[in-house]
This record gives sequence, structure tokens and C-alpha cells, in this order.
Amino acid sequence: MIRRLHRTVFIVLLSSFCAFTVAASASMAPAADEWAGDLSPISASDWSYERAAHLIERAGFGATPEEITRLAAMTPERVVNGLVDYEAIDASGLKPFDESVIWDPGMDPFPPSRAEAVRRAREHGEGLGEKILPVGTQRRLQPVVDKFFYSLTANNIETQRLGLWWANRMLASPRPLEEKLTLFWHGHFATGQNKVRDYRMMFQQNRMLRANASGNLRTLLVGILKDPGMLVYLDNGENIKSHPNENFGRELLELFSMGVGNYSERDVREAARAFTGWTNDVLTYKFDAEQHDFGDKTFLGRTGPLNGEDIIDTILAQPVTGEYVAGKLYRYFVREDISSEVKADLGRSFRASGYQIKPLMRRMLLSKDFYSTPSVATQIKSPVHLVVSTYKKMGLREVPTIPDFGRMTGGLGQTLFEPPNVAGWAGGRTWITPATLLQRGNLFRDVMFPDVKGFRPPDRAMSATDTRVGERLAQGMNITEATREGDAESNKMVDRDEDYNTRYGGYAGNLLAFKRTKLIPRQSAAIDLTAMVIAARADTADKVVDHFARRFLSVPLAQKDRALLVSFLRDKLGSSTVKPGDTLESSLRELLYLVLSTPEYQLG
Amino acid sequence: MYGLGLGAGLPFILNRTSAALAAQALEGTSVEKHPNRILVVIELSGGNDGLNTVVPFGDAAYYQARPKLGIPEREIIKIADGFGFHPSMVGFERLYKDGNLAIVHGCGYDHPSLSHFSSMGFWHTGVPNGGESLGWLGRVADETLDPKQRNLIVNLGTSQSLAVRSRQHSPLVFDDPARFRREGTDAEKQTLAELSQARSTTNAALDFLAATAHNATESSDFVRRASAAYRTPVDYGQGGGLAGNMQRVAALIAAEMPARLYYVTYQGNNFDTHVQQADLHSRLLMYTADAVRGFIDDVKRLGRGDDVAVMIFTEFGRRVEENGSLGTDHGTATPMFIVGKGVKGGMYARHPSLTDLDDGNLKMTTDFRRVYATMIDEWLGCSQTSTILKGQFATFKVFA
Repeated sequence: MIRRLHRTVFIVLLSSFCAFTVAASASMAPAADEWAGDLSPISASDWSYERAAHLIERAGFGATPEEITRLAAMTPERVVNGLVDYEAIDASGLKPFDESVIWDPGMDPFPPSRAEAVRRAREHGEGLGEKILPVGTQRRLQPVVDKFFYSLTANNIETQRLGLWWANRMLASPRPLEEKLTLFWHGHFATGQNKVRDYRMMFQQNRMLRANASGNLRTLLVGILKDPGMLVYLDNGENIKSHPNENFGRELLELFSMGVGNYSERDVREAARAFTGWTNDVLTYKFDAEQHDFGDKTFLGRTGPLNGEDIIDTILAQPVTGEYVAGKLYRYFVREDISSEVKADLGRSFRASGYQIKPLMRRMLLSKDFYSTPSVATQIKSPVHLVVSTYKKMGLREVPTIPDFGRMTGGLGQTLFEPPNVAGWAGGRTWITPATLLQRGNLFRDVMFPDVKGFRPPDRAMSATDTRVGERLAQGMNITEATREGDAESNKMVDRDEDYNTRYGGYAGNLLAFKRTKLIPRQSAAIDLTAMVIAARADTADKVVDHFARRFLSVPLAQKDRALLVSFLRDKLGSSTVKPGDTLESSLRELLYLVLSTPEYQLG
Repeated sequence: MYGLGLGAGLPFILNRTSAALAAQALEGTSVEKHPNRILVVIELSGGNDGLNTVVPFGDAAYYQARPKLGIPEREIIKIADGFGFHPSMVGFERLYKDGNLAIVHGCGYDHPSLSHFSSMGFWHTGVPNGGESLGWLGRVADETLDPKQRNLIVNLGTSQSLAVRSRQHSPLVFDDPARFRREGTDAEKQTLAELSQARSTTNAALDFLAATAHNATESSDFVRRASAAYRTPVDYGQGGGLAGNMQRVAALIAAEMPARLYYVTYQGNNFDTHVQQADLHSRLLMYTADAVRGFIDDVKRLGRGDDVAVMIFTEFGRRVEENGSLGTDHGTATPMFIVGKGVKGGMYARHPSLTDLDDGNLKMTTDFRRVYATMIDEWLGCSQTSTILKGQFATFKVFA
């Protein structure tokens, strides 16, 4: 009885609430509720500032109000064509990646483990470009071990620099969709530096993905399956005729092209056989005919002496492939839930076009469905998108380095070039935990009020153990003493006899890596919120809050939340009017920190 | 669009009403057999040397493969059938003698990966050599726990483990409770707490975020207070990292945190003992055994002994043969442990042969998902075990 009463009250309240919502949104977004699932293009008369903002948020990394106004003045076709046909836009002004010189010839091919590096060095008298010391010398393999750890650290640092370079490209590129698609493919064809251990491979893969980001799926698939980084990441060097390794074939089918449930275990094994001998000679693809299985295979109903490219073509002949890849692009650009009709429709047209990505993107980005209520401001921003788009909306031209970009996004679960595994980032709600949600706000407090003095650059940071070793060496201890952990007598004995000291190697490797990698210049964000509100003619607390909301939020603030922010700023300023003065900038920064910490701000 | 112009109090009424309705709707309809049971999973990252943990001292091949690292028979804590614990594991000896510890021999999976990263991913997802994006514990939560209830998964670590990644649940992830907080001045925090109220709009993602934000504000305070206030006479040993985290779990259980799944990581790839492993490994095992023993004693003291079970795993064992640096390299099969008052102690499954090897590595005898299935089916009492694990896996009757 009580329950029924509650429900009645609830329904009454809910229906009045809904009625209001519909009424309120009707004036802003005509027909947007009925547009869900409609893939036909919107017309010029439906174009608006809000819709242009939505488009650039998804097809890029957001924009300033000035830029959105410019897009809103064009037709939707022209805006979408401009985004999709980005080759026409000159991007030569973008800075190339300024590589450090960290690889020298002896380091290739890099051994899979420290143990293997040592074994090779013992055998050949040298390793990783370093000669071992004469017999009888203490720690005669030390130079090789130092070099091994140097390489790990140097590649980590170089990958951090590469990530920062890419972030700057996302921020500054006049072709935002090119970068957004490249980021999509990076998650789709996930490859991580911590396994590859070679930033050059990551950089090369990044260029390959960018060059084909809006091209053809077949080219992308062939490109990624011949990509040295991917070949190393999935251990395809171990996929040989005598011992086929299923990993490569399995990921191709399950993650890259068809999705689970659309092939058999036998198909996986047969695909693996077709890719035997696909390997790399450091930075180039190599077909090792000796290790390739030229025998007959039966894959998805096709029989013959199939090779890797035959497998790819057979996969592309499956209707499910079009649906799987188009569906994934849809979930990335439009919304998480895809109806089976839309999926089938997009999949069919994608396959019929010979898997051209541009027409698919054009269709999705122009569709009424893309601008329908369930698609707008319902996507949880990825950490990289969150940080880059914030800087973009602030009007910054360069990514600040205090706080550190990689640390910021990494703490939220996304480090460029380090996806969690071959499945990439799961995205959506998995970005959010109570701790990461607090952290998503805390980050921007660091941006607004940077701790320049207390900042410790991660590209020059040592682990606690390495720091301890360094301190002890500086105190005049010898290597044995400086690297001793724990109190056991046996530790000392062992160190005296061994050919190298790993702990010292870690420390020495750090020092050399710090010397050879270029330093990341450190600067905090060049923000001038005072100038921003003056330019916007926001001379009252109300207008400032409205300006920040319009500039940064995709979801309108509830009236009560808007009022809270207005009264916060009013309390800070001691008045409703906004006048330049000593405390204005810091008050505005506090206010913006609040805006950027709201649940609303997580949505794009 | 989302409540513009509504009276300020309305969203709160809506929220309370819907919460009350949800609670009533669930009342009496729960399919859970054991709604009070808690599962704590401990990850020993780096690849623990199983052969020097549960030592097969009765097999001469062990000493042949480990001339320098083999644990002398006289030092081993003998348990049964030629097996014994590493001498530093007195904590496990106690648990084993009390009948509260099960050892499952030879755990692994087909086509083992020797990469920390890949192998750990396989254990996290419970899908070896596959590309599953959700964690096995996350899927347990998705299948069995009410998505409207908060804080059912707690993950103590610097970042969220893939193991707890869930479609519907938002795990509470923190490392140092003192740092699990919102930054800012009191005025900023006060305003943000008000801006983070749960709400009910037409945008489900926004409602989720607001609910999580509200939860974060409340639970970070709760976690900080529970940890700061917790006092226990139980000694968890010296292993700062793990002992501290296990004590934090006990503190949350004592404070009646609703969490059902706890995930604790022994941080920093510590078990990756390639070099001079003897002393280091001895310390790690001592810390682990002491922390687990302390935790079990502590939850018994809290009167929750019957409700708590611990499962311990690592991403792989190590090669049978020691290497030239007085350490061991990455290997394959390794024992898992199940601990708790409700456990039928003893040894389960067959130990792999030390001589019939695959390229120097043990051939696993037990698919690790059988242990997962045991925890899901027997301990948590969930009937969807095969859906969660994407296959049928026989359980061990450790709890029956």
C-alpha cells in the first residue's frame, strides 16, 4: 500500500518533470528526440551554435566560442566536409617531433630481457654496443647491464616526449578529425611501449595510423599487421611454421575486425598459420619464408595455400566485419548504444564502399542521429580528450608542462602509447571511479594554481631505490655497499663474485638516459581569465558564470547549481560586479576550477 | 534542459523517492545465497616463485634444478606428502594447521605468456589469450550485485586494476586514504559537495556521474575516517605495503563498508626475482604470510571470520631451473591459495612434474579459472559462474 502510494507520487513528479524538460528543450533542439536512429542528413535550417559545438567536440577536441561561432555560420555539409577532407588543409605549421638520439647501432636488435642481453654479451664479448671488461675484472658485464637499463629508461622518457608532442598536435592541428581518428585507431590497434620497449616503433606506428586514419580499412589492417610495433607487441616473431602462435590471428579476428563469436577456434589456428613468418627486422617488416607455412588452410570456409593478405581479404568479405568496425567507430563518435538497424545499415554501406572510412564518417557526422538527444552530451570524455579539450577551450596554443600532461592523463587511466592491454581502453563509464572523479577535478586546480617550486619532472625522476643508491655513492660508498638492500651477509658475498650488479645498472642507466634524452621544457599554463571575461564583456558574477558555462560545458547547469556558482564568485569578490583588481584573477581561477570539477564537465 | 527553473528542493525529493522505491523493489527478491560474504583477492605482482613457496622437497629433481636456491630440507616447514612452506612463512603454517588454508597446485592456462603484462592481463580478465575488456571480478559484480548499490568493489592500489573493471559498477579505488580527497579551500569543497548532489535527469550518464561524485565525496570521508580511527591489537607483520593494505581492508569491514569484493595488490612487481632472490623472496613471503594471517585473525576478532575468504594469485611462476644470477626467470604454473575460516584446508590438484617440462617450464595441471569458479560458485554462491568465466570450470569443493 505504502509502496503503491510512493510510486504514484513518484510518477506524478516524474511526469511533470519530463513535461518540463521537453518544453524547455523544444525551443533549443527541435525534433532532436525523434532523430535517434535516423541516418539521413540534417538540413542547414537545423544548424545551430549548439550543434556545431557538439560536432567539433566529437570530431575534434572542442573549440573556443569564436571558432564555434565561425562553424555555426557555415552549412553543416561544409563544416563536415571540411573536417573529413582534411588533406586539403595545410598542416605544415605543426612542429615535427624533436627526437633525442638514444639508439646507437649496437643496440639493435634489442634483446627481449636483461638475462638474454647478458647471455649474448657473454657469448660475443660485447652487447648493446658495449664491450665487456677483461676476464678477472670485477663486474665485467656491467657496461652491458647499464646499457640495458639505460635503454628501458631512455625509451620510456622518449615515449613521454612523444606523448606530449602528440598532445600538442591534438591541441594545435588545423585537422582535428585526423588526430581524433588517429587516437581512435591507437585504441583499436592497441600497442604499448612497455612491451615494445622502442619509442621508434611507437612513433612509426603513430605515423602509419595517421596517414591512413580516414583511408581504407584494408590498408590499415595490412599496415598494422606488418607494423613492427604490433609484430613485437603480439610476439609474432614467435609465430613460426613448427609452432604457430595463435595470438596474432586471435587478436586480428576478435579485436581488429570481426568480434568474438563470429569464427571458430579452428579459424583462429588457420589464420595463425597464414601469418607465420610475418616478422620484423628492427624497424622494417620482414617476410621470413623459412618460417612461413605454405600449406593449405581452411579459413572461414575458404581453402587454399592462404597467406596473411588472403586472410585479411576473407575477413573483409564477411558482412560482420563492416558492422563490427563501423559499430566501433559509431560508439566512439556518436554514442555507446547502437541499435541493430543502425549497425546493419552502417556496416552494409561501409562494406559496399570498399571499406572507405571517409564516407562513413561523413554519413555519421551529418546524420540526424548524431544530433539526436541520446547522442548529445552523453559521452564521458576520455582523460586525453578531457585535458586537451580543456586547454583548447581555455584558448591555449601549447600544452602546459606543469603539471605534467602524461601524469595527468595517466592518473586518470590513459597514457598515450601505453594502453592497458591489446583490447585498448574500455572507455565510457570505466573511466570513472570515485577516486578518478575527484582526481579529474584536482588536476585542474593544479593547472590553475601550479606548484612550480614543488614540481618534480617525471622525465627526470628516479625510483626510491635508485635515488638511495645515488645518495650512498655520493657519500663515498663503493658499489657493493651502495646497492646493498637488507642486512644479510650472503648478499655481500654474492656481489663480490658476480659479473654485474643490477641495482647499480638501474641507477647508472637512469643517469645516462637523463643525459641523452632532451629535457622537456617546463612551463605552467599561460591563462589569463581576466582578459577572457573582459573580452566576453562579462562584468557581473552572473555573466561570468554564464560565460564559463557556455565556453566549457556541454550540459546546461541546473538553476540551483548556477546560483551556487554565482554566489561563490560574489562571496569571493565581495560584490556582484566584476572589476579588474588584485584578487580577480585568482577568484576567477577558483570559480573555473569548480566549473571544471562538476559532473556536467565530464560529458562531451 | 535538466531541471532549469525547478524548485531547488525537487531533485532531492525525486532522488529519495526513487531510492526508496528501488530498495523496496529489491527487498525479498535478492537471488544471492550469501549476501554477507566478502571475497578479498590478493595479487602478488611480478611472478612469484611457486617452487620456493610451496617447496616439493620430496622430489630430487627440485634440488637438481635448484643447486643454489633450493631450500634445504631441514629448514622447510613440512606440511604433507613431500611438500612444505618456505621457512619464512610461519604465518601460512599457522593457517594451514588451523585448517584455514587451501593450496591449489599447478595453476596456469594453455599457451602461457611469459610477459608480465600479457599474463597479468589474462589473469585479470580471466580470459587467457583473449581480448576481454572487463575484469573477472567486474563481471562477477555485473552478474550478481545490485548496480544501484554503491561501493561494492574496493580496490586498494595506485590505479584501478583491470580485474575489477566492470560494466555497471564503479569500484572504489584508492591507495593512500589520506590522499583520497578533493583538493581546494573549504569554500571550494563545500560548493563542490553541493554541486555533486545525486540527481535524476533524462541524461543517464549525467546521473551516473553525479551519483559517483556524491559517492566520492561521502566515501572519501568515510574511508579516511575509518582508516584513521582503526585500532587493532593484531600484528600484521612488517610488510608495510601489503600489511597496511590488509589492515585497511579490515578497517573498512569493521566500519561496515558494504563492499563485497576487495582487490589488493602487492605493489611494484616485487616478486620478479631474477637476481639474488633468496633474501628478497624470503622477506616477501614472510610479509605476505604474516599480513594474511594477521588479516584472518583480525576479521575473526571482528566477528566476521565466517564471512571472509581470501584468494591469492600471481601472473606466473618461475622457471624450474635457477638462472646464473642466483635468481629465477619467468615461468608458468604456480600454486594459488584460498584462505578463510570457511575453507576446507589442505592441498588440491596435482603438482606438475619437475621433469616433464615444456621448454624448461612446468606444465600446468589446473586451469586457474577453476579456482575463480570455486570462489564465484562455492563462496559467493553465484549461479552464473559459466557466464562470467565464459566457459564451464569444475570447482574444488573447498567450501562445500
